[in-house]
Amino acid sequence: MITRRLYRALDARLGTTSAGRTALAKVFPDHWTFMFGEVAIYAFLALVLTGTYLTLFFEPSTAETVYDGAYQPLDGSKVSSAFASTVALSWDVRAGLLMRQAHHWAALLFVAAIVVHLLRVFFTGAFRRPRELNWVVGVTMLALALLNGFTGYSMPDDLLSGTGLRIIYSTVLSVPVVGSWIAMLAVGGEFPSDETTPRLYISHVLIVPAIFLALISLHLVMIIRQKHSQFPGPGRREHNVVGSRLWPAYAVRSLSLLAGVLAAVFALGGLVQINPVWIYGPFHPAQATSPAQPDWYVAWGDGALRLFPPIEVHIAGHLVPAPFFPAVGLGTVTFLLLYAWPWLERWRTGDKASHQILERPRERPGRVAVGAYALTFFTVLLITAADDIIARLTGLPVTGILRTLQILVLVLPLAVAAAAFVVARSLRAGSATTVGELTREDLHAGLTGIEESPEKTPDPAGHIRLWRNPDDTWRWRWHGSGDDLTSNEVFLDRQEALDAATTAFPGIPVEQDEPPEGVVLPPPRREPGPVTKVVAGLVWVAMAVLGRRADRLQSSRSEAAE
Amino acid sequence: MTDVPPTPCRGRRVLAAAAGLGVLGLPLAAPRPSPSSPPPAASPPPIAADDSGTVLYQRNCASCHGQQGEGSHRGPSLTGVGPASVDFQLSTGRMPLREERQINVHQEPVFSESEIRALVQHVASFPPGGGPPIPTVGGGNTQSGRELYLTYCSACHSAAGVGATLTNGRFAPSLFEATPTQVGEAVRVGPGLMPAFPPGILTGEEVDDIAAYVDVLQDDRGQIDQGGWSLGRLGPFPEGAVAWVLGLGALLLLARRLGSRVR
Repeated sequence: MITRRLYRALDARLGTTSAGRTALAKVFPDHWTFMFGEVAIYAFLALVLTGTYLTLFFEPSTAETVYDGAYQPLDGSKVSSAFASTVALSWDVRAGLLMRQAHHWAALLFVAAIVVHLLRVFFTGAFRRPRELNWVVGVTMLALALLNGFTGYSMPDDLLSGTGLRIIYSTVLSVPVVGSWIAMLAVGGEFPSDETTPRLYISHVLIVPAIFLALISLHLVMIIRQKHSQFPGPGRREHNVVGSRLWPAYAVRSLSLLAGVLAAVFALGGLVQINPVWIYGPFHPAQATSPAQPDWYVAWGDGALRLFPPIEVHIAGHLVPAPFFPAVGLGTVTFLLLYAWPWLERWRTGDKASHQILERPRERPGRVAVGAYALTFFTVLLITAADDIIARLTGLPVTGILRTLQILVLVLPLAVAAAAFVVARSLRAGSATTVGELTREDLHAGLTGIEESPEKTPDPAGHIRLWRNPDDTWRWRWHGSGDDLTSNEVFLDRQEALDAATTAFPGIPVEQDEPPEGVVLPPPRREPGPVTKVVAGLVWVAMAVLGRRADRLQSSRSEAAE
Repeated sequence: MTDVPPTPCRGRRVLAAAAGLGVLGLPLAAPRPSPSSPPPAASPPPIAADDSGTVLYQRNCASCHGQQGEGSHRGPSLTGVGPASVDFQLSTGRMPLREERQINVHQEPVFSESEIRALVQHVASFPPGGGPPIPTVGGGNTQSGRELYLTYCSACHSAAGVGATLTNGRFAPSLFEATPTQVGEAVRVGPGLMPAFPPGILTGEEVDDIAAYVDVLQDDRGQIDQGGWSLGRLGPFPEGAVAWVLGLGALLLLARRLGSRVR
């Protein structure tokens, strides 16, 4: 009763009902690949939650301290505060290890989900006009995710991450002319400096996450403004979105996914050990541990460093050392290409039109080939980063493995790209829905490029029925062959409903009809009466007065207790 | 640690190199006397019990290392290697070779403890003798052991004790099977590519500490892998694989189920 009145009072002032109804009726297209981005968002949520817990105990300082806690082999040793507090988090703080491990696993999943989401967007052409801007925002978030992952990995000041930090420092040094300046400004002097850890910390917990939050908001606002893209299908047009409404259908699905992400993060955090820094020990420049790899999302850079031959060149009297090309060069080129891709493709295809309907990957064999090339290239680099572990597990000499990978990184991406191109073209030529159904004729068409475009069954135009509900609201329904789509919103008058129907399905005849039986429709919007408004206002005042009195009572009681 | 006296370890290196490069042309696996039953009493001259070292040596070692440990083209000389070296090679099962190309890992020893003792005695009797003795290791301090381990050992054996890859298909083995005595012997002898650390570099107490910390790393009570499944303590590579396969794999399957349209 009270909640209802409160709600009405709120509604009268903020107009929440109409905004809320529009929001709850928002349509999300039904395709499972549209949920990858959500996985990333929920992983980000898990990162914020667990990360907040960690900040309560982590000390971002390299000042020397004596660890005094449950981990026996370190008890009484002098180490940096950052390392001591990380070990204390793992051994002495209640739930500390669970949170630390869940945080680290969530980070790995976060970047993985971003990459899978990016692949979906790439292969379906979702980055085309008008969504190029959102692609740019997304690629920026990927870059920031890599950055924040690396700073988080480096903060505990352990032997393994210290080695990684040293490598990054050296690759920055390898930039000609300005390298040593950038490196000095970034770490505050020579590596390892006392200022490194505090800087990593503030960038990891405040600056980058704040930018991230802004970019996620921007990403989502743009999706709401531009509406979701959708795969082609019956009744799907450039001016409508076919799918499930946010409430109740999609919200339940999305919340289940949230529960799934949290379950995965905490199950891994509780059951699988990750980054046991107490075993690695504190960072000391004179010590080392091996095998040493970075987390997977940076490992492609490590792999490139291992693969690249020691070639040094002089340009205009300046030495360009070997690490520059695989580390700084490859990273810059990769992200520049990613940023530029929507424009590169438009330049190649000349397609400047606005697109709301996605392409199936097979419709663009060239794009499939480029994507397959990049995926294979980076997979080889990732495997190279673990060349010593592979040598160990297989018993083969590491130099031989490295030589093989040097050849593979040049040859394999080309081979895979060519195969993907042919498969995509064969799929486009024939009627096969999956790779397994390809016939010899399809493959022949794919290889020769001579395609007889199969008779695509035209999407039935269908017709629209418009009807009035008993409570004077209006709705419409599209009837195709064997497919019915009902308008997600309820309209207050006939013209609104008609406009919406003709926007979603332009050029289709509209018939007026009475409501079909058994269809339950949401209630229409009702303006609260003047009496309700007055009562609601009174309730607000009463609650405020009561609340203040309760506060005063409590404070006077606590004073009395003192 | 390159300024160590080369004499005690060079022999080992040659031996390991010979083994590693497959120089040995013959299958060297001696008929394997089962540890439970003593070698069958040979028909030629009956041998006294205290002479079992000689018999074992003649049967299993002399064909490569020579009658008096002088070495041959098939195996390095054993004169002056010291008891620690012989005990290490035999008790970790690295010797006698079972295959042409020996894998440098800890194996079930071929001989029983008493047989190894007899062989160590016999090899030590070769002139001129000497070499590092079998150290007595135990009761070390894990705190200082951890620091020493990270200074002297972790670059090759890994901070987690899993070992690491070296050049030419060689690798530093994992330490999970090593007993404290074997750790001490390896430190003093420097088998394979490992440098030897004589008492001038690492004192007896320091070796005790290192062995105590290796014992912690071996984790018999399952305490050091506090976080759960250790993934072989191989670091971010298996972690990334788990994140992709188990973590993201499960989530994508979930999305696949959730994303299908419900009517």
